[in-house]
Amino acid sequence: MFRKYIFSLDHKVIGLQYALTSLCFLLIGFSLAVVFRWQLAYPGQPVPIIGRWLGELNAPGGVVLPEFYNQLVAMHGTIMVFLAVVPLSVGAFGNYLIPLQIGAPDMAFPRLNMASYWTYLAGGVVMLVSFFVPGGAPNSGWTSYPPLADFATLGQTFWLVGMFLLIVSALFGSVNTITTIVQLRAPGLTWFRLPFFVWAQLVTAFLLLLAFPPLQGAAILQFADRVLGTSFFLPSGLFSGGQAVNRAGGGNPLLWQHLFWFLAHPEVYVLILPAMGIVGEIIANNTRKPLWGYRVMVYAIIFLGFMSFAVWAHHMFLTGMGTVISAFFQTTTMIISVPSVIILTALLLSLYGGSIRFNTPMLFALAFLPMFGIGGLSGLPLGLAASDIPLHDTMYVVGHFHYVVAPGTIFALFAGIYYWYPKITGRMMNEALGWIHFGGSFLCMNGILFPMLILGLAGVNRRLYDGGMQYAHAQPLHNLQVGMSYAAWALALFQLPFIWNVFASLKFGRVANVNPWQATTLEWTAAPTPPIAHGNFETIPAVYRPAYEYSVPGAADDFVPQNSTSV
Amino acid sequence: MEIPYTASVRPDTGVTNQKLGMWLFLASEVMLFGSLFSSYALLRSGAMSWPDQSSIVNVPLATVNTAVLIASSVAILRAVAALRGGNVARFRALMAATATLGIIFLAIKSVEYRGELAEGLRPSTNNFVGLYFVMTFLHAMHVTGGVLVILFLCGPGMVMNRHDAPRFLGRVEASALYWNFIDVIWILMFIVLYLL
Repeated sequence: MFRKYIFSLDHKVIGLQYALTSLCFLLIGFSLAVVFRWQLAYPGQPVPIIGRWLGELNAPGGVVLPEFYNQLVAMHGTIMVFLAVVPLSVGAFGNYLIPLQIGAPDMAFPRLNMASYWTYLAGGVVMLVSFFVPGGAPNSGWTSYPPLADFATLGQTFWLVGMFLLIVSALFGSVNTITTIVQLRAPGLTWFRLPFFVWAQLVTAFLLLLAFPPLQGAAILQFADRVLGTSFFLPSGLFSGGQAVNRAGGGNPLLWQHLFWFLAHPEVYVLILPAMGIVGEIIANNTRKPLWGYRVMVYAIIFLGFMSFAVWAHHMFLTGMGTVISAFFQTTTMIISVPSVIILTALLLSLYGGSIRFNTPMLFALAFLPMFGIGGLSGLPLGLAASDIPLHDTMYVVGHFHYVVAPGTIFALFAGIYYWYPKITGRMMNEALGWIHFGGSFLCMNGILFPMLILGLAGVNRRLYDGGMQYAHAQPLHNLQVGMSYAAWALALFQLPFIWNVFASLKFGRVANVNPWQATTLEWTAAPTPPIAHGNFETIPAVYRPAYEYSVPGAADDFVPQNSTSV
Repeated sequence: MEIPYTASVRPDTGVTNQKLGMWLFLASEVMLFGSLFSSYALLRSGAMSWPDQSSIVNVPLATVNTAVLIASSVAILRAVAALRGGNVARFRALMAATATLGIIFLAIKSVEYRGELAEGLRPSTNNFVGLYFVMTFLHAMHVTGGVLVILFLCGPGMVMNRHDAPRFLGRVEASALYWNFIDVIWILMFIVLYLL
C-alpha cells in the first residue's frame, strides 16, 4: 500500500504525486494574488470575507499591512515559479510522459525519482512554514536581493533552506530525465524520431542540471551572511535604519544578482520549453498534419538552451554594470529571440492547411500562440538597455513575464491536462465544462494582464503596495487596477469548472478507448490505456517511423502509429 | 521489472545508466563549485584589500592533506582494478584504505579549523576567511558523503557482488569517479585558497 501509492517507485505514480502537489501550490500561489489584488484595487480598505482570517499581525482589522503585502508578493512569485509551474511541467508531465513516449519501462533511476519528489515536497513545506515564523514569510521579493534580504526577517532563512532543497530535487530529476532519454529509447526510436515534447524536456533537464546549482551556491553564501555574519553581499560603509552596519563589509550585492539571474534566466526557459513541447504535440494531433519544420524546431530549441546561459544580465541593466557589458547582453538577448520566434512560427505554420479539430486541449494550445506571442514581443523593449531603463521598474515588466508564464505556460499545461487525462484515467474530461473554463480563463487572463502593460507604459512603478494611489500620474489609471482585480476574482471562479471537471470525470467521464485522439506517439499506440502499473508496455515496442505521421497519402487511416510496420 | 542498461553498455550510446548518471551529477557539481570559485574571483578582484592568504591558513597541514587525498584517489582506482580482476579481498582492503585516508583528511581538516578558531578567526572576520570556511566546509561535507558510500560499498553493500556483479562494479566505478572529482576540487581549493 505504502509502496504502491505513497513511496512509489513507479514513474506514473510519482508523476501524479507531482501533479497533485504542484496543482495545490498553483492554487495557493493564485490565492495570494487574489488577496493582494484587493489591496491594489482598494488600498487601505479591509479585505472582505477572508480579511479576519489573515491574522492581526498581518492585517489588523482586515487591512493588509505593507509588510504583509510584501510577503504575499514575494511568496506569490516563489510559489508560482518554483513550487507550481516547474514541478508541474517537468516533474509531473515529464515524469509521466517521457518513459511512455520513448517506450521505456520506467525512468532510469526509480529510487532517485522518488527522492526527487520527496525533496521537492520538503522544500515546499519549508517555504509554507515560513508564513508562521516570527516576522512572517520572506518579504524581499522572489529574487531575494541583498542587502535587503540579508537583514530581512527569519522567513528569509526558510526561503534559503527551501530553495536549497528544491534545487537538490531539480538535480535528482534532471539527472534522471537526461539518462532516461539518452539510454532508454525503444529500439528504432532515433533522435529525430523523438516527439518534440521529449526534445523540449531534454533541453529543459540540461537547464535544470546546469543553471540551478549556482543559485544553490548563492543560497549557501546568503545563508552564511544571515547566520554566520559574513559580508559576501554587504558592501563596506553600509547603513541600515540610520545606523552603520557592524559587519566586515567588502562584499558585493551585485554578486547575488549575477548568481541569481544565472539561474533565473535559464529558469524562464525551464518554464516555457515544456509548454512548447506540449503545444507541439497537441497541434500536430489536432491539425492531423506533421509539425511544420520539426527538425528546425529541434535545432532551435537546442540553440535556445545554449543561448539561455548567456543572457542573464539583461535583468540588470539598471545596476550600472557598464555599457560594454550591457551591449554584450543586449546583443545575446536579441539573438535568443530568434529561436523562440522560429519555434512559434513553425507552430503557427503547422496550422496552415490543416482541418483543425477544436477540442478543449486544442483551444488552449491555440490560445498559447498569440499569448506567448504578446509575452515574447513585449519582452523585446526590455532586452534593449535604452528602452529597458524607463520600463524596468514598472508594471510593464510584470505584464510581460505574466503573459509568458500565465496564459502562455499555464494554458499549455491546461491543454496538456485535458489532452492526457484520458491516458491517465481512461476517461474523457467534459468538453462543455472545458469550453467554459477556456473561454473564461482566456478573457480574464487578458483582463488582468493587458492593463499591466498600459500601466507600465504610463510609468506606474511595480512595487507599490497601494497600486500607485499617492502618485499623480497613476491616479487617473486607478480604475484599471480595479478592473484587473475583478478579472482576477472572475478568473478564480472560472477555475471551479476545471476543478469539478478533473474530479467528476474520474467517475462520470465518457470511457475513452485506447487511442481517443487517434495519435501516433507511443504512449497512445503501444501502451494500454489506462496504463498498467509496472513496466508500461506488455512488450517494449519497436519504432519504425517519425513521431507525426498524420494524413500519410495512401495510408489506411489518417494517422500511422510510430510502432506500425505497414503504411 | 528490470531497467535496461543499468549496468550493461547500450551499444549506440556506449555508456551504462550508472556512468551517465554520475557524469551528469558531476557536471552539476562543477556548476555548484564553479559558482563559489567565481564568487571568490569577483569578491577578490573587487576588494580594496585582500589578506595574505598563506599567512592566515595552515599551508603545511593542507599540503599533507592534499597528499592524503591524492593517495586515496590512487587507492580507489587500484580497488576498481582489483574488483575488475575478481580479487575481492584485495578490493575490500583497498576500499577500506580509501575510506581511512578520507577520514584522516577530515581529521586533519578539523585540526586546521580548530587552530583557526583558536586564533579568533571566524567566517565574519573578512570575506577571505568567510569563503575559506564556507568552501572548505562544503568540500568536507562532500568528502564525508563519499566516505560513507565507500564504507557501504566495502561493507554491507558487497552483498550485491554475489548476485549482480556487473551492477556492483558499476556502482564502485561511479563512486570512484565521484571520489576523484572531489579530489580535483580539493586540489583547486588548495591552489586558490591557500597558495594564491
